[in-house]
Amino acid sequence: MTAVDRTTVQASATGPDPSPDVGGRRLPRALHPMAWWVWALALATAVSRTDNPLLLFLVLAVLGYVVTARRTEAPWARGFKYYLYLALTVVVIRVVFRAVFATGITSRDHFLFSLPHIPTPDWYAGIKIGGPVSLEALLSAATDGLRLACMLCCIGAANTLANPKRALRVLPGALYELGVAVTVAISVAPQLVQSVQRVVRARKLRAGKAQGMQALRGIVVPVLEDALERSLRLAAAMDSRGYGRAGRATRRSRHITGALMLLGMCGLCAGAYGLLDATAPAFLGLPAMGLGALLCVAGLHLGGRRVTRTAYRPDPWRLPEWAVAGVGVLSAVLLLANLGYDPAQLNPTFYPLTWPALPLVPTAAILLAGTAGFLAPPPSPAQRADAP
Amino acid sequence: MTAAAIRLTSRVGVVMTLAAFLGVVAFFWPFLVAPGKFGSNYAPPLIFGVLLVLVLCVVLSEIAEGGIDSKALAMLGVLSAVNAALRPLGAGTAGIETVFFVLVLAGRVYGAGFGFTLGCTSLFASALITGGVGPWMPYQMFGCAFVGMLAGFLPRATGRREVLMLAVYGSVSGYLFGFLLNLSFWPFSLDPNSSIAYLPGLPFTEQWQRYLAFDLATSLGWDTGRAVTNFVCILLAGPAVLTTFRRAARKARFRASVRFAGPRTADSEPR
Repeated sequence: MTAVDRTTVQASATGPDPSPDVGGRRLPRALHPMAWWVWALALATAVSRTDNPLLLFLVLAVLGYVVTARRTEAPWARGFKYYLYLALTVVVIRVVFRAVFATGITSRDHFLFSLPHIPTPDWYAGIKIGGPVSLEALLSAATDGLRLACMLCCIGAANTLANPKRALRVLPGALYELGVAVTVAISVAPQLVQSVQRVVRARKLRAGKAQGMQALRGIVVPVLEDALERSLRLAAAMDSRGYGRAGRATRRSRHITGALMLLGMCGLCAGAYGLLDATAPAFLGLPAMGLGALLCVAGLHLGGRRVTRTAYRPDPWRLPEWAVAGVGVLSAVLLLANLGYDPAQLNPTFYPLTWPALPLVPTAAILLAGTAGFLAPPPSPAQRADAP
Repeated sequence: MTAAAIRLTSRVGVVMTLAAFLGVVAFFWPFLVAPGKFGSNYAPPLIFGVLLVLVLCVVLSEIAEGGIDSKALAMLGVLSAVNAALRPLGAGTAGIETVFFVLVLAGRVYGAGFGFTLGCTSLFASALITGGVGPWMPYQMFGCAFVGMLAGFLPRATGRREVLMLAVYGSVSGYLFGFLLNLSFWPFSLDPNSSIAYLPGLPFTEQWQRYLAFDLATSLGWDTGRAVTNFVCILLAGPAVLTTFRRAARKARFRASVRFAGPRTADSEPR
């Protein structure tokens, strides 16, 4: 997951750029972030069904098209290429590990090359290192890795396309405080970068010669002081604007909330136990977990009464949202339903080794998901990086 | 010692204990599950990921139910921003991990509840800023939350011993965090035919050997980098940062007790 983190916050310092997709007759606006997430997760579900490399590359192409057509110039919208790097890493790691930690070769495999065999001690007998490597083994590792990589890229596409600050609004009321803290964090982070630059400049002006860890301390402490000062000012501002006023929660509803949460957590624990233990009665597994989850959700809903919130300019959910989410779900349904094609074509076998076929219905389903690229309205041009 | 920034009621304590149990299950299921209970290697990580999201929601909601005052909340937001800004500095280069540094020290000064919440909000904010939202997030958030919380429960110490204790804790938690996160994606990240991949139904010892080999081959170097970074950072910058945090805590006076004086009592202080 580390390659994902590499998009730095400094990216937000750059100014507005023209959007890649201006023109067309439709009014540009941002699609509801949840619509993108539904679309991407549905596509990821569809991907999880298939091992066919042709279909998987088609999914990557579709993702690439939609992302280039509908992303904004916001800092989070530049991360897709890192997801592609990450996807490549996943495939490479899988192939390399399959080759190095091999499990032998059968007479039906095509021998490719052989790695030196390193014996492991008896008490560590489970692990085999080195040995002959077959073409089939590498291909199966690569296609399976490609599936995981595609699912990763689906999530990357959602991250790229959906506005995270807008997505924060769907947090339930019971997590209001968390949402506030994260909103504060997101808006303060660019200021921190400026703060660091200011401190570094001041150090240079004072001819600070310290290097390495000494320099770290010289930068960290002033920046932290600055940040903490800022937080106290912010708290005063929040107080004066009415943070912390009581919602509609009564003493009784608070008690019920607590009881629901505790019961729900007990249900989840029982469910987890039932899922893992073979001797546990059947009702302790998924049913108990589902019941616990329901109780927890009810508790969260009731706990949301603690705060009253109003939405400023709420995101609309109109026809394009329905369309984008719809084509995603439809493609997942088509791939899960096994209608109109041979399910074996989704997962081509390596014995005998042949070129995989491209089944018609799944191809159409994936291309259908790609129509999101023009079903969604064009993004608003020149959106400021720090706009809400 | 100043008061903890966020109060933990006994109800939160119970919920956190249950959450810890669920967390252990969600991370260690490959070793705990009875053979033949799960069909696919992809399903359990997703089920447990959703489960962890729900658990985190419940715990955070319960913590907030006890009341987070505006000063604690603003501090939470600003320190999360610090963490989110620090995180990309290290990630990707030799496993240098800079998140734990602030997390451990803040958890120590502002208490366990604050540490827990800070662990969640830092990673959440960082993921939102860098576009890293995904199914791995609940696992990371859960890990960080517990690192921050346990830092708040460390025993009393002062001076050099405190800094040394925090540094050791930081490096140990760095290792443990890497170990657990690897465990969270081990079952599905390798080809099932590889000899270090998760194979359902193996006895515990063999499964454990496979996992250790996987951990050794993939991320021990990274985890070592993280542990060393934590240790060195806390040892060198820790005293200054602790002082800064404590000064801010004194200034903020979290959860200052409020007394309402009747209007007619003449000897009460006018506010």
